[in-house]
Amino acid sequence: MTSRNILADVYWFIIMVILAGLIWFAFSSDRMQAVYIAWGIIGLALLIPLARNFPTYFFGRLMPPIWRVARATFHEAWRRRFLNGILVFALLIILSSWVLAYLQPGAELKMLIDIGLGATRFFGLLIAIFLGTRLIADEIERRTIHTLLAKPVTRAQFLFGKFLGGYATVFANMLVMAITFYIVFAIKAPQFKNIDPESGATAYHMDFMYANIAKALGLAFCETAVLVALAVTASTVFSWIFAAIFSFFIYFVGQMSDFFRQLSDPDRGASAVAQVLLGTIYRVLPHFEIFDIREAILRDQVVPWEVLTKHGLQGLMYVVVIMLIGYLCFNEREV
Amino acid sequence: MRLKQMKGYQVAGWVLVLGLMVLLQPISDSVNMDRLVLGLRSPTPVTKLIEFDPTAITGVIAGAILGGFRDIAASMLWFKTQEYWDSGQGASLKSLNLMRTVTLLDPHWLEPWRITGWHLCYNLYVETEDPAQRAEFLRLGINALKEGISWNPDRYDLYMELGWTFFDKVKDFPEAAKWLGAAIQFEHPEYIERLIAHGWERLPDMPKALDWYDYCIKRDPSDGTAHGATLTIRERYMWAWRFMEEKKYDAAIDEINEALAMAPNSSLALHMKGHIYEAAGKYEQALDVWDLAAKNAALDFHARTKVAQISRILGREVPEYASDIYIEREKAKERKAAGATGPAVPAKQDF
Repeated sequence: MTSRNILADVYWFIIMVILAGLIWFAFSSDRMQAVYIAWGIIGLALLIPLARNFPTYFFGRLMPPIWRVARATFHEAWRRRFLNGILVFALLIILSSWVLAYLQPGAELKMLIDIGLGATRFFGLLIAIFLGTRLIADEIERRTIHTLLAKPVTRAQFLFGKFLGGYATVFANMLVMAITFYIVFAIKAPQFKNIDPESGATAYHMDFMYANIAKALGLAFCETAVLVALAVTASTVFSWIFAAIFSFFIYFVGQMSDFFRQLSDPDRGASAVAQVLLGTIYRVLPHFEIFDIREAILRDQVVPWEVLTKHGLQGLMYVVVIMLIGYLCFNEREV
Repeated sequence: MRLKQMKGYQVAGWVLVLGLMVLLQPISDSVNMDRLVLGLRSPTPVTKLIEFDPTAITGVIAGAILGGFRDIAASMLWFKTQEYWDSGQGASLKSLNLMRTVTLLDPHWLEPWRITGWHLCYNLYVETEDPAQRAEFLRLGINALKEGISWNPDRYDLYMELGWTFFDKVKDFPEAAKWLGAAIQFEHPEYIERLIAHGWERLPDMPKALDWYDYCIKRDPSDGTAHGATLTIRERYMWAWRFMEEKKYDAAIDEINEALAMAPNSSLALHMKGHIYEAAGKYEQALDVWDLAAKNAALDFHARTKVAQISRILGREVPEYASDIYIEREKAKERKAAGATGPAVPAKQDF
């Protein structure tokens, strides 16, 4: 790999970081603005060398190979039978909430949301991990990676192409599930709104519920983007099966990252070693729990777009960091 | 040469990773703060646990690991508890453990909290004859409901459930009024105010009962229950109450005896009479009246508790009742928390 190509890859990452930083700047609080102004200045300074030839470089050289790899990955992924099986099964479960909700008298609406949203996220997780971990492993196994990398495609472009193609597949699958869930919810939910005949009180308010469910699905898409990145990165280091186990492990530990923060709290008597160790784990782990806003749905409270965008940007930052790690590992790997 | 370049590049790459992770921290902290403000943070159950039993700890850890899938796991386990009910194992301990797990997996789901509290205070309560064990079930049920409230402080349901448990099962009416009073701070059904009035009536504290019934009538002038109760209190009990407040205890007893002549088994009139004797310091007579009330109605646990408390004052053998044991234990805890030392002698104002 030439140093020119490596430099091009580095710029690609820097562009993503700067974009995230600049968008973030628009939403940051006053307290945080100084940090992000500094971030923006550093980013712009790094961009100056590229500024003159940037459009030609970006659209003419950088993106086309990524786009081609992504498109091929997307088409190939849809031919995988296990993926189609998971999708069909997910749709059946989501549709079954139509009937299953009645099994829980008084909590029909909750059941409808639990099953619909839970199934969309759960099967999205399965597809993201099992597809993400197979994308590169299969290319190595079939030795097609040699042909690909012999062409003018850098490893970073190959990796990003695989990530984008994989994510597009997961996104499309989840979109089908989300639309199905939303249709079921829109039809059934109004029947369950006033279900407390004894008290006469409204069991659930639904002023913001439809919007909140759409927001929750949006966050689920962000979550799976992080998961696909994690799975692809893990597969650059481990065999696909171990990468899948590793991805599940990180996902479930990431769900409880807040525990590590609590355990490292000196006010709760954490020792100095525990503070450093658990504090580091908390800082390093992706916080997957932030993509869950089910509480807001059931309490029917507004989730402001600003807050939601911050969540999305944090997800984007996770993707950037994880893919950068993936690139560094993949660059060193013998294929 | 190339190897050296690669190494330098790798180092730069990892430095960039570290830099990005450092930059991520303020974003993460800011998002965490937003989630805290909006109440979107994932539950941090350890801080809210009242009972640190193994089931609770398991539920907490399982809930934390499952993250976004905890609610669906809770729903599935709830189906299992229904299976237990259907197969006649509803009152078993394994059913209780399952319920407890469900409450911690999905702490904002009110139904499991309500059913768990009810299961402990009602179903498991009658499974044993031992008053101490019954008191323990009351304690566990009440703690379960209090835990549930700590998760759902902005819904009336569990305040109401706890208030009702104190009202109906423990017969600790001031405590019932406290929790029912909390329930009406939120959107709630109309009957809760009447329930509070009933509580004060049973204690008895007639002026407070009248205040609440008056409120019910102002809110809904066609409230027949409140109208009827107001008339009864004013006609039968208010004179006696006023005489008692003026320390004219004999006149008060005469008044209440007139009410008892009309309805000899009226538990309200008996409670009132017992209360007047207590106010007059005539504990022997008070004991007789409360004893009569206790024997008159099988479910008059308040009268039984009074019998136990007054027996303790008189230095007699104390018959043990679950609600009395529960209340005494709670008072002992309060005294301990307040740093009081010495024997737990019940003060008169406790009654």
